[in-house]
Amino acid sequence: MSSWLELLTDNFDALASGFWVTLRLVVGAFLVAAVVGTLVAALRIAPSKWLQRLGGVYVETFRNIPLLVLLIIAYSGLRRAGVPIGTWTAGIAALGLYTAAYVAEVLRSGVFAVSRGQVEAALSLGFDQRQTLRRIVLPQAVRTVISPLGSITIAMIKNSAIVGAALAVNDLLKEARIIASRTFETEAAFVCAAIGYLLLTIAATIAVRLLEQRYAIRR
Amino acid sequence: MQGTRWRWMAILALALGVLVASGCGDDDESADGGTTATTQARTFDEGTTMARLQQAGEITIGVKFEVPPFGFKNVQSGDVEGFDIDVAQAIADELGVEANYIEALSDNRIPFLKDGTADLILSTMTINAERDEEIDFSDPYFIARGRILVKEDDDSINGVGDLGGKEVCTALGSTYEDTLKREAPTAKRRLVDSYSECLELIQNGAVDAVSTDDVILTGMIIQDDSLKLVGEPLTTEPYGVGIKDGDSAFQEFVSEVVQKFKDDGRWAASYQKWVGQYTEEDAEPPTMTLKEAIDLST
Repeated sequence: MSSWLELLTDNFDALASGFWVTLRLVVGAFLVAAVVGTLVAALRIAPSKWLQRLGGVYVETFRNIPLLVLLIIAYSGLRRAGVPIGTWTAGIAALGLYTAAYVAEVLRSGVFAVSRGQVEAALSLGFDQRQTLRRIVLPQAVRTVISPLGSITIAMIKNSAIVGAALAVNDLLKEARIIASRTFETEAAFVCAAIGYLLLTIAATIAVRLLEQRYAIRR
Repeated sequence: MQGTRWRWMAILALALGVLVASGCGDDDESADGGTTATTQARTFDEGTTMARLQQAGEITIGVKFEVPPFGFKNVQSGDVEGFDIDVAQAIADELGVEANYIEALSDNRIPFLKDGTADLILSTMTINAERDEEIDFSDPYFIARGRILVKEDDDSINGVGDLGGKEVCTALGSTYEDTLKREAPTAKRRLVDSYSECLELIQNGAVDAVSTDDVILTGMIIQDDSLKLVGEPLTTEPYGVGIKDGDSAFQEFVSEVVQKFKDDGRWAASYQKWVGQYTEEDAEPPTMTLKEAIDLST
């Protein structure tokens, strides 16, 4: 057990820089996923058939293409087409847009999980459409989507490991592999990488737990 | 309804069976060189790796799959070909066994030897003291030189001294990680798994240069003549066959086969086929010994 600790202290700077790259990637992609995911969910529940369809096309496109393929299209594909896109933009955009498709689906299902009767009751009590959504539907929807959104965030953190490999970015996994190839301490290097990812995923898990408690119904 | 479901299950099972029988495992088979030894195989003492491999009837050799002209998949035939494969095949032939080629990247080839995934590694691997601590090597079978590849219309890079601040691609786990750190400390290193990714990155303009062995870079120029080599050779990179650490009998055997390959004209023929006809340069088989190769790196 001491071997990975030793490796961690010997290569702390490299691992920390890799962790920092992964963290920035994950935070950037999370913001993209949250914003785009919410917009797409809004399209999916919009009163117009065409807007709903547009949202559907987004979800099916980004959810059904492997992330690795999206990354290659976003970086090599665009560069070959003459767009001088950087690794950060390509990595955050591909990971964020991919995750946004899942976020949109969870938000949509959360809204639909609130029973039709509640909407009817609200409308009959004199709430208008907007108030019904804001005061009745969304607060209940939030409660049901926290846990699945947490799962999506954790999946996204793990998916970020693909970005380093696909775009030649020195993220946490790449730094660990560089150390492994130099020191031949393969197991210890990957244990360090795993710990780094666990730090991020456990932080996400705790955040989800706190949010769940905050929005829990006191029974 | 029940009957229909059973019928569908049967069709599914059949389809799966057909898939398993036909498609899968295709890679392993087609990667085989296909040439079996014509001469009567030698016999070896019980307990040696050579005897074990003969018993098994096959040897697993880790080679590059995307690095012309040393190890690459022929798109038409599906076979792996190149200079490394010629040497590997000579070893398999000497044992009288089938060669099973697997892809070994710069990053995973040493672990492959240590955990027994591969019996030998011939993947443009430079002999050096650090690696010699982890595995054993044969005598050098080829000597490459470290060079720099840039786009033909790029006049800003004429040698390693011009790499400062530039994006330079090389393979993760290659000797160039350190070479670049030493010779061009301010260059931004982009580390990829396979040199074909470096070719993609220089073609799409994501990196300014690629640095690795001249023969690998020449392979890229063969694929894309808008690229050129610049600067003086940076390093001398003697390639050796990688063998599991401590297997001295096997190491001796492999070095012996390599020597025979150099002496009987096969080396020259292979060189001409894979390198000489493109560079129009002649070369002699290397006479450098393993010890000299290791000393070179220290």
